[in-house]
Amino acid sequence: MPRYLIEREIPGAANLTMDDLAEIARTSNEAVASLGVPYTWVTSYVAGDKIYCLHEAEDVETIREHARRGGFPCNVVAEVTNEFGPRTADLMPVR
Amino acid sequence: MTTGILPPPARRGGVRSPGSPLARPAGTAADLRPRALGEIAAPNYAQRVELVERDRPLAVLRAAVAGAAAGEGAGVAVAGEPGVGKSTLISAACRTDAAVRVWRACCDPLSTPRPLGPFRDLAVQAGYAGSLGREDLLLSQICEEIYHAVRAEPTVLVIEDLHWVDTASVDVLRFLARRVTSMPLALLVSYRDHEVGPGHSARAFLGDFARLDALTTLRLDALSPAGVGEILRSTGLDPARVHTLTGGNPFFVTEVAKDPDRPLPASVRDAVLARAAEVTPEDFEVLQLVAAAPDRLDDRALPALGVDLPTLRRLDATGLLNRDRDGLVYRHELARQAVESTIPPGGAPRLHARLVAALEQIHRPDPAVLTHHSVGARDSVRAARYAREAAQEAIIARSHTEAAAFFRTALDNMQDAPPGERGRLLLQLGFEQYMTSRLTEAIATVSATFPLWSEARDQGGLAAAHVSVALFEYYNARRRQAEEHADRATAIAGESGPDLTLGLARATRGYFAYMRQDFDLAAACNDDAGRIAVANGNDPLEIRSRLVRAAADLAGGDDGARSRVAAFIEEARTHNLDELASTGYSNLANLDVEQRRLREAQSVLDQSLPFAAERDIPICRHWQTGVRSRLHFARGHWSAALEDAWFVLDGDGMPLANVWPLLVTALIPLRRGDGGQIDDRPAESLDRAWELVGLIDEPLRRLAVLAALAERMWMTGVPDTRVTELAPVELIALADVSGIGWAAGDLGVWLHRLGLLPDRLPAVAEPFRLALDGRADRAATWWHRAGEPFAEAMALSDSPAPADRVRAVDLLDGVGAVGTADRVRAALRRDGITQVPPRPRVSTRSNPAGLTNRQLDVAKLVARGFTNAEIAARLFISTKTADHHVSAVLAKLGVANRRAVVVQAGELGLG
Repeated sequence: MPRYLIEREIPGAANLTMDDLAEIARTSNEAVASLGVPYTWVTSYVAGDKIYCLHEAEDVETIREHARRGGFPCNVVAEVTNEFGPRTADLMPVR
Repeated sequence: MTTGILPPPARRGGVRSPGSPLARPAGTAADLRPRALGEIAAPNYAQRVELVERDRPLAVLRAAVAGAAAGEGAGVAVAGEPGVGKSTLISAACRTDAAVRVWRACCDPLSTPRPLGPFRDLAVQAGYAGSLGREDLLLSQICEEIYHAVRAEPTVLVIEDLHWVDTASVDVLRFLARRVTSMPLALLVSYRDHEVGPGHSARAFLGDFARLDALTTLRLDALSPAGVGEILRSTGLDPARVHTLTGGNPFFVTEVAKDPDRPLPASVRDAVLARAAEVTPEDFEVLQLVAAAPDRLDDRALPALGVDLPTLRRLDATGLLNRDRDGLVYRHELARQAVESTIPPGGAPRLHARLVAALEQIHRPDPAVLTHHSVGARDSVRAARYAREAAQEAIIARSHTEAAAFFRTALDNMQDAPPGERGRLLLQLGFEQYMTSRLTEAIATVSATFPLWSEARDQGGLAAAHVSVALFEYYNARRRQAEEHADRATAIAGESGPDLTLGLARATRGYFAYMRQDFDLAAACNDDAGRIAVANGNDPLEIRSRLVRAAADLAGGDDGARSRVAAFIEEARTHNLDELASTGYSNLANLDVEQRRLREAQSVLDQSLPFAAERDIPICRHWQTGVRSRLHFARGHWSAALEDAWFVLDGDGMPLANVWPLLVTALIPLRRGDGGQIDDRPAESLDRAWELVGLIDEPLRRLAVLAALAERMWMTGVPDTRVTELAPVELIALADVSGIGWAAGDLGVWLHRLGLLPDRLPAVAEPFRLALDGRADRAATWWHRAGEPFAEAMALSDSPAPADRVRAVDLLDGVGAVGTADRVRAALRRDGITQVPPRPRVSTRSNPAGLTNRQLDVAKLVARGFTNAEIAARLFISTKTADHHVSAVLAKLGVANRRAVVVQAGELGLG
């Protein structure tokens, strides 16, 4: 299933407490469960005034439907087309 | 591949709960089209309706949008029946390349709308969500916030369905409409005209559209047969038949055109339901759920309702629903009603109960919405709880009509509550009714609590209720009942010792005594109240009793008390006692006019009227506008006086405030000689005023009406027994009463002119004394200095010297009192004086009498040397509008240029 990176603008996100985050997670889980289509919330990062989420769904429409149901902002949705890191360098043949 | 459920990439929308950490992002706006769900099913719907027979209205709307982009503000109201295409037309006008942002919101079709509903929905994208949550926010501050948000860049602000609007939103809209030319705004509103009857919240705002230059109203008609034919062009349907069937309703015609192969539906309902013919019973129930939520079915409620994404995809095929306002809504209200009509009897409560249960799961659900569904679910416990919460929110939003409605709903749903609890709620309801100027209802509501307090054995509550009714009855001009309630409150509260309620009861009684010139009783009552206040450490009551005491001293003739009254008003303001401060202003302005400190009165009103409007104290605003009407009348600003008088009389809010407006509407036509004869309306006004002062029974007001009746008798020569018999007796009876020197003097000089002056009189004020002593010239000089031209002229007319009387005619003609001047002209001729100035050809020679309030504001600023740009900035109008006003002012004043206004400011009464 495609993976999507979602940017949510939430002023003061960095100040959300663990209780707040638990509440958000509960709302999100309920939204996921209600969709009636395959959907996986992989993980999320809180950074400044934004939250970045990694979700798996069949299409962007479903990503947005989840956000609506949770009452979450959903400012940018981008499909993750590839993933790499420091070890990726090892995959290249040495010249 | 997307279905209609997918929103456009840059989704912009409002949010329901300002303050939620997860509030949706502030968008930059733009696309007005309904979101998805439905667009795919009916891609051409908007264009097809818009393009038919709507060229002119579309051009008007587009001009407003283009104007906003160019920095020129304007407003357009689109009126018409449901389905006539109001929203479609506005949407079409908003599809523009112009550099404007578009903010769109709708009013709620809930049984009681959410206070500030449309402006709440816009809060996040417009950036004032933080302020809306604050409890101490004044409506004027909310207006300012919205004003600043809107004027920051070119904006199209669309507010739809005004027939469902709440009162606080009306105030915001009026605030914006009055300033529309000073900002880059296209204010576009829609409403069903036949649903906005007399007394509707939106009436005042729509009245502005009729009056203000920059605002236009468009009325959309049904389509002609040719127009119907155009929509049916590619269908093979018979336009004449479809036109007859649909009455040319564009929505209906379009529904028919979508399914040309089916048999023609008999009604809009059938046409709509045909679209849902294929869906399963389970899916149809979801359609019914959305129909039961007329404002929107909140997206966040979908999980709890068990509506999944595949269901939404299937429903999308019906083309009935849109994704909008953060929820599911019907593409059109007519479609919603069609589906709602399929809910079987007894089925609605179950749907509403499901909605309540689902909405209770989300973050900060709106209590107004929960009230609606709890009532629908016949769940009294929840209905009462949410209605009380909604009422509190309405009070914070200054939406008093809605607050009253919510209290009423709460009461209807708590029949079994303890009596004390019902009593307290009824008191709150009564207060909100009073705040919306529904005095008779407020009196009935609070009176209904009397048995409840006895049942609850709460004497304090009973006494407090009597104090409230006493005040309401007084504003309602029923002094006798008011005094009885105040005495009753005193007796009940007195039994339980000198607590605060007794203090309030005494203060109330003291106020009535002061208004009736009974200064000894007033002082005793206020001193009692003051002592109780001090003993209880209650600042508001202490300041109130001292303020009223000072006002009573001033009324009794102690001029030195004026500075004390002013000081207590300031003290009330520093203690944030807005209502008390406003009442203080009301009294001070009234006494200043009564005692002819006209310039001081003007400066009090300049301060106090905006204050009463800002702090939302309608009773004071009414009263003070009535006082200003009398002030304008005294200064010869007759158009402005009539404008204020009609505002008060049409507002129909507080009979107590009507006396002077009635006199003003009676005397100005009489003095102007309108129509060459006296028509019925002024006569009726005088009779109404007479009836009113009979109920109020206060010397100052009775004397004022008697003076007006005497003036009419002098003008018409028609004897009136109230003047010939009652008035002289009344003056004799009042001979020892203090504080009536002005009113008695005014009546005295008219009786003198009629040869009816009794030999014993109360002490009258200086200018009247001079006139009665035969010192006409000195009396005239006094009035000239005071700034009361009509009285000056009348004083001169009393002179035996022909030159003075001729000068009186000139002066009277000058202020537009041609009717009165004619009367003096006739007397001059009768006395054989030939050099009488002829009647002016144009009935009103140029003079300040013709200036409206707005023009007076402009004229005063011109007199102070302001440029048009400065005037525009001060009055929140465009420079162009200011130019226009200044030209009108110069023309009405009959002067060549603004320098002349500066030079003659004093003479023109603009100082």
